Amino acid sequence: MTLVRPGKVQPPDTVQFRISMEMTKFDVRNYLQSIYNVPVASVRTRIQFGSNRKRNHLLQRVKRPDYKVAYVQLAQGQTFQFPDLFPEKKDVIESGSFEEMQSEYMENEKQRQRNDPRRGGINDWFGL
Amino acid sequence: MAGRRIFGRLQHNPDLPAALLRPPEPAVQRTSLYPSVVASMTAKSKASRRRRIEGHYSRVNAQTDIGSKLKLITGLQRLKYVVYPQTFALNADRWYQHFTKTVYRPGLPVKGSGLEDEELGRLRSLLCEALLQDFYYAKKGRTFLYRSHEVSAAPFLTNAMAILRSQCAKHNPSLSQGALDVKPQVNFYWLRGETRVPRGHRKGCIDPIRFQVDDHPLVQLRVQKPLPEFVPLDHVVSEEVPFIPFEPSRLPLFKRQYENNIFIGAKLDTPCSYGHTQFHLVPDRFQRDRMEKLSLSDQIEVFLRANAIASLFAWTGAQAMYQGFWSQDDVTRPFVSQGVISDGKYFSFFCYQLNTLALAADADKNPNRKNICWGTQSVPLYEAIEEGDIKGFNDDVFRQLVDFFLNRPE
Repeated sequence: MTLVRPGKVQPPDTVQFRISMEMTKFDVRNYLQSIYNVPVASVRTRIQFGSNRKRNHLLQRVKRPDYKVAYVQLAQGQTFQFPDLFPEKKDVIESGSFEEMQSEYMENEKQRQRNDPRRGGINDWFGL
Repeated sequence: MAGRRIFGRLQHNPDLPAALLRPPEPAVQRTSLYPSVVASMTAKSKASRRRRIEGHYSRVNAQTDIGSKLKLITGLQRLKYVVYPQTFALNADRWYQHFTKTVYRPGLPVKGSGLEDEELGRLRSLLCEALLQDFYYAKKGRTFLYRSHEVSAAPFLTNAMAILRSQCAKHNPSLSQGALDVKPQVNFYWLRGETRVPRGHRKGCIDPIRFQVDDHPLVQLRVQKPLPEFVPLDHVVSEEVPFIPFEPSRLPLFKRQYENNIFIGAKLDTPCSYGHTQFHLVPDRFQRDRMEKLSLSDQIEVFLRANAIASLFAWTGAQAMYQGFWSQDDVTRPFVSQGVISDGKYFSFFCYQLNTLALAADADKNPNRKNICWGTQSVPLYEAIEEGDIKGFNDDVFRQLVDFFLNRPE
């Protein structure tokens, strides 16, 4: 049973899981309520067909396995939002550090090697 | 060759099927010498699409016969969300309010009409007799699973409707000319909001979201003249219609494609084309004790509200469309109906006033026009039935029930 990020936006009280084929919605409810003490209002399940379109190097069909998806609605007004697992890091460069000097040097060097924009992209060795 | 190509394009026109193109557009009064420059009918452009849609609108508006008008409005079959008034979905009332642009107001609009106590007592004894007949005197056998509401509650409510209607007809003569439908069909089809077609050959097109209600009330009463409005049409409601930013399929609601129907329970030529009161029966699946056992006791009232909003909107909207109004030609007078939802013991009362049919994205311009649903929490009519005696008969519920039947057209 895997908690997954919903592919389509779900209401805040709905949690999406991928569960094994043998689990029923009653199993999911019991599992969450008895083991994790999560109040469950309703469980809906569906079976996602895994694509059969892919072919291997012998042109034989390769089946991706099917899986079961469970949508669990939480009771008692509880909400859940899937956490942002990989937040974008903000690079803060300290002033006066080696990194700052390096990036400034690279910037200057790039500026120096850039062609003259007035020449309109013509090579610098060609001219009258 | 070119003619065939154009004909083929018309055939495969994504916005209008060929059947809708057949009646010619009504001629416009021409003032200038030259014909006006208009967008192409067949091109794949926004202007052309707009012209096709406007042509469709003017074609519908030009229809004088309501039947052909409804046929044009419901002519285009696409996948649509089927809204079930009695739904298993949780917190469906807020979603249904969003779909139908309805605000919910607790409490009923005040109505001061009453009978003398003597008359009320007579009515009460008749109603108690019907109650005892179905819950005590008649021997009812075992029934199928989840169908026990059909055994006692449904006949009691049907009888109650018949009794109250015939007895109140003395004080409210419109009831005697009304029509009583038992287990009628009520259908309504409407557009609300827009979405992008996710897949298929129309992928990427902006498409209105379509909804269909197929409702089966237990009994309903139709009358020849409309009921008086509860509030005037330009009354500004302070409450906001809840906005649901998610797709309707997240409720969950499922899409199907079949004939779009708009039906009030009788054909178009009926003289009784206005609604009076609907009785709905709570199915066994949504009985109170079962919901409490599933620890969904907070959903009992939500279910009733959702049922009332969806059913009464569908019925009232269909009545308005029977008068020739539709989403591009909004109602000029409010339409009103009443509903009672009951499981035989607990009664809840709802009044619905339809102020707008313009729910589609291109018609929904006036934010002050909202449909209003008034409602009460469910209250038991009696405490218990013991030895042929009804304990704790609730007179307020009974009086409210009679008041619904005394509501008369002006």
